[in-house]
Amino acid sequence: MSNIIEIKNITKEFKVLNRREGLKGSLKDLFSRDYKIVRAVDNISMNIEQGEIVGYLGPNGAGKSTTIKMMTGILEPTSGEILVNDYVPYKNRTRNAQNIGVVFGQRTQLWWALPLVESFKILKDIYGVSDKDYNDMIELYQSLVDIEPLLHKPVRQMSLGQRTLSDILAAFLHNPKIVFLDEPTIGLDVSMKSKIRTLIHALNKEKNTTVILTTHDMGDVDALCRRIVIIDKGKMLYDNDIEHLKGFFGYYRTLKIRVGGDLKQTAEKIRAQLPEFSVSADDEWISILVDEAKSKVMDVLSQLQKSYKIRDMQLEEISTEEVIKKIYEEGVK
Amino acid sequence: MNIKRCLTLTRAGIIESLQFRLGALVVVAGNLLYLVVIYHLWQAIFASVGTETVNGMTFTDTLIYLVLATALFNFMEMYVVWEMGHAIQTGEITIQLLKPMKYRSYMFWSYSGTAVTQFFFTFLPTFIIVAIVTNGAIPLGLNLLFFVISVMLAISINYSIDFLTGTICLYTESTWGINIMKQVIVLLMSGATIPLAFFPEPLKTIVNYLPFQSIYNAPLSVLLDGNPEPAKLLTTLGIQLFWCVVMNIASRLFWKLSLKRITVNGG
Repeated sequence: MSNIIEIKNITKEFKVLNRREGLKGSLKDLFSRDYKIVRAVDNISMNIEQGEIVGYLGPNGAGKSTTIKMMTGILEPTSGEILVNDYVPYKNRTRNAQNIGVVFGQRTQLWWALPLVESFKILKDIYGVSDKDYNDMIELYQSLVDIEPLLHKPVRQMSLGQRTLSDILAAFLHNPKIVFLDEPTIGLDVSMKSKIRTLIHALNKEKNTTVILTTHDMGDVDALCRRIVIIDKGKMLYDNDIEHLKGFFGYYRTLKIRVGGDLKQTAEKIRAQLPEFSVSADDEWISILVDEAKSKVMDVLSQLQKSYKIRDMQLEEISTEEVIKKIYEEGVK
Repeated sequence: MNIKRCLTLTRAGIIESLQFRLGALVVVAGNLLYLVVIYHLWQAIFASVGTETVNGMTFTDTLIYLVLATALFNFMEMYVVWEMGHAIQTGEITIQLLKPMKYRSYMFWSYSGTAVTQFFFTFLPTFIIVAIVTNGAIPLGLNLLFFVISVMLAISINYSIDFLTGTICLYTESTWGINIMKQVIVLLMSGATIPLAFFPEPLKTIVNYLPFQSIYNAPLSVLLDGNPEPAKLLTTLGIQLFWCVVMNIASRLFWKLSLKRITVNGG
């Protein structure tokens, strides 16, 4: 397998004017040369193989979009090397564009006033797709989603979900090697989200297209990505399989038990008994966050059973969402 | 291959502009209103002077010139500055930059469709009506061929100026003022609002050295001159060609420099 994207130590800095407050400050700003340097992306390296789906995660303002813009060639890195499909993207933006497809969240690349099929035909000519490839692609689309009713509908009359779906289809139309999806499921309902996930998954399988996906929806990540990359404040925090992520902070599981009597008091006692775990109580449950590296959940449960009469119990796996939240909030130690 | 790309964008533009019937009607109505105003304005001007011809032009000459200038404006004005300003402000430009085409030609061909529609729906009808109503005031001969050549050069110059102005929006991030300023300068200096013959001598000299008169004055004077001296015709077209090349190079260079700015410092 060869790398389709190679990024080596890229850094991107922006010059930002220091804004002052108030009317006086605004007037001063007109003549100000007081710039500060903001480092949006800080020394990031990664290699991505043909056919991978990579979840690119990070809190708002982490530098995700900046990295993607560098991969598409819209931004030039301040330092470091970047190779996409063997081209340096910012030097060969137009040529690079032929091999990539993009969907940027709420924006559309479709022709607003025209029926979808016209947009497809325009894109077909712009990207120089042959009739045969085009027809094959439309056939594939038809087998994956019911596009017939969409094809003859002007884009401006579509719902957000239909438009996003159409935009994704448009991004894959010229069979690019890489597709960048920037928050493709933002603002969509549950059924549309799952439809779009299925579609992305199928297109990736069928065409072996590399997909780089940024999202805040962990459902997208769980459904699509085997590998995830997390960045924050421009720095790389994590780059590995999603399975490893769960073990990243130790293998945590939450044990919830219900006992008779006052829950708060019992929780206090358990806390004294199990000082290595965090214990909390609400109106119904006592929750114990068990680090499986230290002791097994079953052992904890049997230990508790000796001292308390447990009426009911639940076991919760820690979700990707919680791990990521933990990473965003605490960073990596 | 490349031609196919361009024509598909033209085709899309035509279909797109045909979707907005109401918009087209409003434009026609607005033009009629404007024409009524200039009719009365120039009638008053000629009445106050009291002579049949002013600066070598009769009232009919002036009116024909101005009506055709308006029609030409409707067909050549591409509103590229608006579009670029909007794309820059909303960030939509990132999507346009990711098309496998040079941005400058992508924009041009995207707009060419509107121009084609406008040509058939505004310019041609106006031209025919004026030709019939004035009963032979517009010569119909070889000048039509030269007119077509001249208009093509004018479109190219106009687009270059628009594109150049649009590029300035990258720096200012505001569009409105710049666009209005550009429009006023172009319309005045090109002779689209007042025929250049009415300009005072020093201003006329200055205007002759500027590219703007090549946009409206040049094609109209080619069209309205039935028996041009070959030397004069060649000079007009030659000057247009000169500006066409210069403005093309200037707008390309400026764009290239500015694009560097986007890629270095973000949108």
